[in-house]
Amino acid sequence: MNGTLSLAKAEIIRLRRNKRYLLFTLALPVLLYMAFGRSTGRGYGVDFKAFYMVGMATLGGFSGVLTGNAQRISQEMKDGWIRQLRITPLPANAYVVSKILAALTSAIPVVLVVLLLGRFYGGVHLAAWQWIAVAVTIWFGSTIFAALAVAIGYKFQPDQVQALSVLLYLGFAFLGGLYFPLGGAWQKVGDALPTYAVVKISTDVIEGASVPAGLAIGLVIWLAVFAGLATLAVRSSAETL
Amino acid sequence: MSQYGTGALVENTSQGHGRANSPIVSFENVSKHYGSLKAVDGLNLELAAGQTVALLGPNGAGKSTSLDMLLALRKPTKGTIRMFGQDPYHAVKSGRVGAMLQSGGLMPEVTVRELVTLVTGFHPNPEPVDLTMKRAGVAGFADQRVDKLSGGQTQRVRFALAICGKSELIVLDEPTVAMDVETRRLFWASMKDEVAQGRTLLFATHYLEEADQAADRILVINRGRLLADGTPAEIKARAGAKRISFRLDNIDEPFLLGLPALVNVEIRNDVVQIQSDDSDRTLYALLDAGYRPRELEVGSLGLEQAFIAITEEDDRANGGTK
Repeated sequence: MNGTLSLAKAEIIRLRRNKRYLLFTLALPVLLYMAFGRSTGRGYGVDFKAFYMVGMATLGGFSGVLTGNAQRISQEMKDGWIRQLRITPLPANAYVVSKILAALTSAIPVVLVVLLLGRFYGGVHLAAWQWIAVAVTIWFGSTIFAALAVAIGYKFQPDQVQALSVLLYLGFAFLGGLYFPLGGAWQKVGDALPTYAVVKISTDVIEGASVPAGLAIGLVIWLAVFAGLATLAVRSSAETL
Repeated sequence: MSQYGTGALVENTSQGHGRANSPIVSFENVSKHYGSLKAVDGLNLELAAGQTVALLGPNGAGKSTSLDMLLALRKPTKGTIRMFGQDPYHAVKSGRVGAMLQSGGLMPEVTVRELVTLVTGFHPNPEPVDLTMKRAGVAGFADQRVDKLSGGQTQRVRFALAICGKSELIVLDEPTVAMDVETRRLFWASMKDEVAQGRTLLFATHYLEEADQAADRILVINRGRLLADGTPAEIKARAGAKRISFRLDNIDEPFLLGLPALVNVEIRNDVVQIQSDDSDRTLYALLDAGYRPRELEVGSLGLEQAFIAITEEDDRANGGTK
């Protein structure tokens, strides 16, 4: 386990050194919130500033976990780093476990930064338990994408991953209602997405409304699906690494 | 002609290679098939502790596949591989083997020192990081980022990762492939130090001089099968041992082809080159027939010619396409 932890630590150090990663995961949601966070209006039953805080925190969290990891895993598979690790005494699952641990950790700063921005720049006022519930929901909802990143990274070539992760990023972000609340037919599609579940659970918590159990169950089902895809992708690549 | 076919040659070899101890590596009738392609085809071999063994073969002979299976990266279609009495996966995870693959990559965005420190930390019996870096010759660029290194430097970092634990067996797949001549020389010098500490070394190569100079045992493989197994001198001796060359006017080709102990004849204008199992018999027969060749030379085959002879013989025996 020590080896896996030190590998996870190295993964986090690498993320911190990667400027592109920091720009897209941290800078983009922060800048967008600074630009639009004080708009008036409402979204999903709460003030826009609260909705947009939730949306941007989720955007930063899940996009970093998904696009950063998928691309890296695919590249590291191609370069042979995964092979190299397999001939060390490190357990076979250590690579995937350390990627997920690193994702769980690396999603924390952006979620916290955007929530702080919502509180002190947007002027969102919540009870302590609401802050905690919202933070944990966004964090958990973002990190399930680590499993999807593993699935894509193991399955596809780096250039394919590039295109695929942009498509998935845009789909989950827009249809999940992270940029703006959807309406009409689009909302019907969005209803099923984990990113929408994260936003809706959070806004329900902020509104003080009861959270529909279906949303939480939906998130867990998405996690199971992503984890299943990841397991299949990792297994099927065992002989071709 | 069949004296260096499969059976006989392989059989009378492994004696004198420290059979007293149980082998640290054994392949028992190991095959790896990809569809109809037999990458490895019924491989049997044993390695004893302390040997330096070269796995020599042309590209596509099955060297990398064999090493991949040994390192638990691929599963044999048939047969059993044991390492230190364990299955390959558990042997690798026990840290008793350090390896360097042709296709092994490095983690970018960290420095050489960070990477060597990280991988050293995976080992149950680690070597000191500074010592590893010195031995592998990476200390001079320890603080450079891994993704900014030259090919030769990258190769040395891979080597550092192979020796950063106190492993008993070191497995190297084409270790010097990206190295210039000087780096290659340094590499083998440091490799000799590793072996002097009692480590066993198994390396794949298609550089014949490397096998000749570094190994005390050579395994020749082609088409996934073991063709020859012996010391460099034995391998040379087995491949149509001697080379006879001379000039001759009015060459009678059918007569030359009928000479005794003949392995191969090449005729270019008036120059004849003969490979023979018994150069004396071949030569006397030539002289007895009244021929008086000029510029006569009789010599041993180098390892390269021995290797070519062994693998060509095998290719011919298997219907020829290469």
